[in-house]
Amino acid sequence: MLMVKIIAVLLISASVGILYRIPRKLLLYVSFVGMVAWLIMYITMRLGGNGILADFLASVAVGVIAEILARILRKPATIFIIPGFIPLVPGGDAYMTMLYMVEGNYVDGVAKGMQTILTAGAIAFGIFVSSTIFRLIKNYNLESCSTDVRKS
Amino acid sequence: MAISLEQMVSLAALAGEVMLKNGAETYRIEETMDHMAKACGASTVESFVIPTGVFLTVSDEVGHTLTVMRRVRDRTINLDRISKVNELSRSLVAQRMGYEDAKGILTSISKERTGFSLLPSMLASGIIGGGTAVLQNALFFETLAAFAAAMIVRYIAHIVSKLHGVQFSFEFLGGMAVAFCGVLLHSIWPHLRPDAVIIGGIMPLVPGVAITNAIRDVIAGDLLSGMSRGLEAALTAAAVAMGVVIILALKV
Repeated sequence: MLMVKIIAVLLISASVGILYRIPRKLLLYVSFVGMVAWLIMYITMRLGGNGILADFLASVAVGVIAEILARILRKPATIFIIPGFIPLVPGGDAYMTMLYMVEGNYVDGVAKGMQTILTAGAIAFGIFVSSTIFRLIKNYNLESCSTDVRKS
Repeated sequence: MAISLEQMVSLAALAGEVMLKNGAETYRIEETMDHMAKACGASTVESFVIPTGVFLTVSDEVGHTLTVMRRVRDRTINLDRISKVNELSRSLVAQRMGYEDAKGILTSISKERTGFSLLPSMLASGIIGGGTAVLQNALFFETLAAFAAAMIVRYIAHIVSKLHGVQFSFEFLGGMAVAFCGVLLHSIWPHLRPDAVIIGGIMPLVPGVAITNAIRDVIAGDLLSGMSRGLEAALTAAAVAMGVVIILALKV
């Protein structure tokens, strides 16, 4: 079953790439990013971590791999980030929230809704963290380059 | 080798317009316009980009200044074009390409029909839906239904984009269609659950570009763009949820 799910994740990430019209040559890289992220989420959940932590770790991984690939292949990092995090989106939680709310089960609905928002926030914050780190490295390199030029 | 001020401005503004139309981040557009105008020989360049428009001021060595503004209305998502303009700007800065070539290539990028036509993107959307259903431990027929629902979503997107639909109408209608598929399946074959169908079907509607750009704009300090893109993502999610909820409420 795990093998089937991994194949599903690979296909999902590549399809998101097709839907957002990324360059065709990069579809393979993109599905790799998605698979690594999903596996990190899956393993964290298996080891007993909660969903929010798992999504956070996975989306940090998406950001880091995407920025590294962007440097190597000289493409915008967005291309790798978007298909990478789509398999992590808490669609199931969002659906349960809607269902509870419609049924009038507001206690469970609000609880699920909070969990959905926190999970989505964890994904966003994971990308935030990794992009910030890479921006700091880039600015640091620019800074040291310009001082080198001034020295020489 | 003399490139006039008007030519510099039109080249850089066209590049910015193409990138903004296809969903690039704000800082990337501003940096690209700066680099392109500087590579053409401008002495100072100031650029300002918001999600609905591009502003550009270029000065040459003589001291003449020219400002243009481009209003951008129809925004789509085409990351291929962004990466092409990015490469173009890199080779222009590295002097591997002259002004005339760059202008020609940029015009063809903005006009060409890149990417995939309706059927491949419908299939891709369907695979996203079916794959997500698999991740939710769906049965085989539920996976198939999720595949069909997500394909229908893409077809609705095609129709709405032809009608120049109002913002968020596509997401709302897509959510409704997906929920309808799920509920219909459940009422025909009661042993199949609608959950996986609806979860899979709404996955292609996730505003991935808006979320990513909102985060990256905020980090880069473009708070105005970041906030408005964050709001776009939130409203898109709300529109999908409303579409699904209406159908679910009718059923209950």
